[in-house]
Amino acid sequence: MSKPHTPNHTQPECPHRRTFLKTCALLGGTAAAISTVGSWMDQEASATSIPGEGAYTLLRPEHQIRSVCQQCNTQCGTTVKFKDGRVAKIDGNPYNPWNLCPQIAYNTPITEAASIDAPLCPKGFAGIQTLYDPYRIVKVLKRAGKRGENKWISIPFEQAIQEIIAGGDLFGEGHVEGISELAALRDPKIHKMLAEDAKKVADKKMSLEEFQSKYAEYLKYLIDPNHPDLGPKNNQICYYWGRQKGGRGELIKRFFADGLGTINTHGHTTVCQGSLYFTCKAMSDQFVEGKFTDGSKFYWQADTGNAEFILFVGASPYEANYGPPMRAGKVTQSIVDGGRKIAVVDPRCSKTAGRAWKWIPIVPEAIGALGQAMIRWIIEQERYDARYLANANKAAAKAANEPTWTQACWLVVINDDGTPGRFLRGSDLGHPKETRPSKKHPEQTWEFDAFVTLRGNTPQFFDPNSESEAVTGELFVDTELGGTHVKSVLQIYKETAFSRSLGEWAQVCGIPEAEIVELAQEFTSYGKRAVADIHRGASQHTIGFYNVLTWMTVNVLIGNHDWAGGLTKATTYNATGDKEGMPFPVTKSPNKISPWGISIIRHGVPYDKTTLFEGYPAKRVWYPFASDIYQEVIPSAGDMYPYQIKCLFLYMGTPVYALPGGHKLVEILKNPKKIPLFIASDITVGETSMYADYIFPDLTYLERWEFAGSHPSMSCKVAPIRQPAAAPMTETVTAYGEKMPICLESTLLALAEALNLPNFGPNAWGEGTSFTRMEDLYLRMVANIAFGEKADGSDKVPPASPEEERIFLQARAHLPETIFHPERWKAIVGPELWPHVVTVLNRGGRFQEYAKAYNGNQLANKYGKMVGIYMENLARTKNSMTGKPYVPHAHWTPNPIDCMGNRIEDEKNGFSFTLITYKTITQTKSRTIVDYWLDAVLPEGFLEMAAEDAARMGLRTGDRVAIISPTNPDGMWDLGHGQTKPIHGKVKVIQGLRPGVVAFPLGFGHWANGAGDMVIDGVSIPGDPRRARGFHANAAMRLDPVLENTGLVDTVGGSAVFYQSRVKIVKLA
Amino acid sequence: MLQLSLSLPKEDPLITMHRDLARTRREQIPPTWVMVIDLSKCIGCHACTLACATENNLPPGVVYRPVIEEEVGKYPNVGRRFLPRPCMHCQNPPCVPVCPVHATWKDDEGTVVIDYTKCIGCRFCLKACPYGARTSDFGENYANGTPELPGTLVGRNQIERGYARKTAPEYDKDWGDRRRASPVGNARKCHFCLHRVHNGQLPSCVTSCIGRATFFGNINDPKALVHRLVGSARTTRLKEHLGTDPHVYYLS
Repeated sequence: MSKPHTPNHTQPECPHRRTFLKTCALLGGTAAAISTVGSWMDQEASATSIPGEGAYTLLRPEHQIRSVCQQCNTQCGTTVKFKDGRVAKIDGNPYNPWNLCPQIAYNTPITEAASIDAPLCPKGFAGIQTLYDPYRIVKVLKRAGKRGENKWISIPFEQAIQEIIAGGDLFGEGHVEGISELAALRDPKIHKMLAEDAKKVADKKMSLEEFQSKYAEYLKYLIDPNHPDLGPKNNQICYYWGRQKGGRGELIKRFFADGLGTINTHGHTTVCQGSLYFTCKAMSDQFVEGKFTDGSKFYWQADTGNAEFILFVGASPYEANYGPPMRAGKVTQSIVDGGRKIAVVDPRCSKTAGRAWKWIPIVPEAIGALGQAMIRWIIEQERYDARYLANANKAAAKAANEPTWTQACWLVVINDDGTPGRFLRGSDLGHPKETRPSKKHPEQTWEFDAFVTLRGNTPQFFDPNSESEAVTGELFVDTELGGTHVKSVLQIYKETAFSRSLGEWAQVCGIPEAEIVELAQEFTSYGKRAVADIHRGASQHTIGFYNVLTWMTVNVLIGNHDWAGGLTKATTYNATGDKEGMPFPVTKSPNKISPWGISIIRHGVPYDKTTLFEGYPAKRVWYPFASDIYQEVIPSAGDMYPYQIKCLFLYMGTPVYALPGGHKLVEILKNPKKIPLFIASDITVGETSMYADYIFPDLTYLERWEFAGSHPSMSCKVAPIRQPAAAPMTETVTAYGEKMPICLESTLLALAEALNLPNFGPNAWGEGTSFTRMEDLYLRMVANIAFGEKADGSDKVPPASPEEERIFLQARAHLPETIFHPERWKAIVGPELWPHVVTVLNRGGRFQEYAKAYNGNQLANKYGKMVGIYMENLARTKNSMTGKPYVPHAHWTPNPIDCMGNRIEDEKNGFSFTLITYKTITQTKSRTIVDYWLDAVLPEGFLEMAAEDAARMGLRTGDRVAIISPTNPDGMWDLGHGQTKPIHGKVKVIQGLRPGVVAFPLGFGHWANGAGDMVIDGVSIPGDPRRARGFHANAAMRLDPVLENTGLVDTVGGSAVFYQSRVKIVKLA
Repeated sequence: MLQLSLSLPKEDPLITMHRDLARTRREQIPPTWVMVIDLSKCIGCHACTLACATENNLPPGVVYRPVIEEEVGKYPNVGRRFLPRPCMHCQNPPCVPVCPVHATWKDDEGTVVIDYTKCIGCRFCLKACPYGARTSDFGENYANGTPELPGTLVGRNQIERGYARKTAPEYDKDWGDRRRASPVGNARKCHFCLHRVHNGQLPSCVTSCIGRATFFGNINDPKALVHRLVGSARTTRLKEHLGTDPHVYYLS
């Protein structure tokens, strides 16, 4: 033991006892190279502190790579910091507006920015443990037992590729068709011919006999020659993903759609907030050449930092909601420093609600009813923006300085049964149609039939898109015109909202009437700077589409789209280069197939317009207004409706864990006769990939590329870029003669090489432009971002200085050539663009200055179009289950309902609790359980119960309970082969939960992903009990009584339902 | 309709405080470091807890900055409160006099430090701290008990080499492999990230603060943001009656 140190407890007077860093500090220090960092303490320093040794080096730019997190889909900017070539710390990226507001200036030298850290959420910090996860696989695994037995052998990459391509008796269970057999038809011209005539058959413009005789030699390529509209056998290959962003998205489309010609590439949207996306897609449909079309799959959120009042509806930006780093700080500073307010509608007092002006503990199924109540009060009290709502078209909006317009004053024809139908058109009143040239199809014309409003008693005929003839209309119309009963859209909304008194709505909601009034009063007290911000708590219901439409209409009533403090949308820099004059149009794909046919999830097409139509109900739900219906892929494959999936390729997804009723997928996946070939790309052996035939290891988000896009609340134009930061940990393999780590890219490149796909390899974008390594695609995308969208190059980012180029290389010294090869990288984009590419990569992307995202009181990055609230397309389409037209406007009906529209009333059978889920900030559904550091905050999830209910049931915090439901009376995950996991959890008694509701956080109770035992190459690998803790109650969620193998669904917006299952809670001894 | 003028934020408070640190250095203002935590802005996200744990590569069982969660009120009038609890860096620290080997003391910047090379792990200081701010490092490692299957799984050894057996440069010193003594077996606690502060960076709990609730700076600099905040009428400190004189202030 050394001699005790004598501490000095008093402040010495010596003023120069410290020599601060000799380096510059950001924004105001003297300029000096950061690499001259010395210690604060020097030789003359006081003996009273522990002398530093300069061991801390993470603040040097040479030790940093700026990238993008993927611990959840918020995709915050990161600074990945290295010590001895290993990731030592991850912080937030100060250049990225996700992390700071405003972020630092884009032209700040990286030497200055290197010492600035910015926030991330706890998951983001813990990402080091996602990279360094002992259970990560690094070699291809092939199943050695039955599906789901978790017995594996590791095999060479080349063998796996060859087996998948060629097929054969791969598992000793009989012949399995390989990809080359399934995607045998690869001639784009034949696909095109078949597609066009198959459509004619479906449209009854060509007979089946005629089709079959015309294409006799090609019938063998069709799934079913008697139903040519199902498409080619290529469609029996299904690519299915959980989390996929730009870059990989382009790669996937190129391989599966352009290359293999399958229509079946489906994402996970509906397990997140599907109906939010698809309602807003319908709302953004524009009137284009006679049709309502071209809507974007997107949604709006609050311009968080600038709203005076935000009503969060089923949204918690402090924990999820694309919130924590990006939005929460804006909210806290608004509330505390700005005196602003937020309110939260949620059955559970989330962290956001717990700090809000008001928590509205809504009855879960009434979340849309509250919106209807607000609409009623706002109309009754005339607190809507009448001037905005009266604008019928673009010219009227322009004259009123409004960036958007809606359909409030448009007239609608009322059907004989009193229901609203199509829009009234000029021709109904004898107004002549016009023949106009088509812009979409230059040789063709289309008939323009005007829409109609009423001004006084005079019909006004208008074109919604006219920029010169401004037309307004009366807001409330209920009259006869030319013998036709018509109403204005707002009149229909009024009558719907007025179908119940405010008191009756309050009763439905379980909220005092006075609370609703106060909320509506507040919402209408700030002009356009108030906003309802909606998330999955509103959309993941059986009537999710209409819940979202109701709440979005609440926003429309104050006309807050494109106004600061109102509703914003995401805006990104173009990465695909498909604008005129951009350097690399990467989506160009020679000899690409245009996939055709009916998808396995039957989306984008009405049932009664296909050859499969055989009356109502259909065997399963058809989704003409949604896509990416995650919960529909495997059950449809299980039912083989409308056909069999023969090869399923799952990427970064775990539907068994993530979906309500996910346990029902196990029965399908474990049976090779249902889906004969199941390939997964995964980091570990996960809850769903454990049923695969082959698992290809993937790189984690810290080792690879992606283009993260943006989120609706981000008002700046952005292009955040994920790039290889850590050295890859998977096995090195070869494709096209190039060495690379096993990952999604190398797997698809090797498959493309084996299949000789024309849009991959040495001439992928045309003669001499090769796609043989992942960076061939990704660096070109970076270059597009760096170049900007102006053909003359005037939108380019500044070039990197020689010093920034040097640091760029030094910071990547730890990366092997399999992932980073400077000369090759430079050659891909060319020496001219290279310094600009370096600027972008050194900053983790490209980001517009915050102040430039605003233009006066409006957003600079505008939506700028019609905001639809009346969906004529819905009124014209029949629901595949009921045979009735969809309701074309927002409304609320008692729910939950099954897919036939019948009310489910499990509460009558003693299932007295509604089970809901929530996000704890430390977990992202399936993948963050591997991050042990997070255990310090919350090692397992609890079943939260209201104190009132707990008292009645004699339950106390810590008591163990079973969760059982009408469709899972044993409260059990049946994982196949005798493996089960009970849904048993510990109770936590709280005040902040509506009585009658129980809640659990997603993310715990794993049985794979390192939590379960497995055997690889004969070696037993025991699971880690830290990953198995807690429980996961998705298997207790209600199955649809008609579909039986699928949870409850929203048949319009496609949402999987998370908040409407009734359960019983049983105390365990 | 009503049109309010739009005023956009000019600077993120994290940048303001970063500039404050630079000014202390540039103008050679003798530093006394204080932290201010605005509880009305804390959202209970625990980002600080994890930023700290990863900055200092903390092993299982060691947490420098927990955030204590509390629910208040009765349904339906319920609120949630969050209390980050770093070391209070008392100016009259009860943990210091109990140390039999003088391994811990208040340095001349007002920060309570531990010299791991001197600490014998007796844990007197853990008992003496009225805030429970000190924990013991029992030498555990997150990779313990994980499997090893070279060439097929990443496995335990690579995890240990990756981070689990590493130490962070606390006090700007290289502590080497965790199998070699300190800080294993020592008392450990928040040190205001002196290794960062002395290099011109804010502590990791500050730069990670999503709600912008945590502030840090030199109380001797009248221009510093913390100087203004400490003077707020909302200021309070934990267990002031003990006379510990903490340098962590809370705005309630």
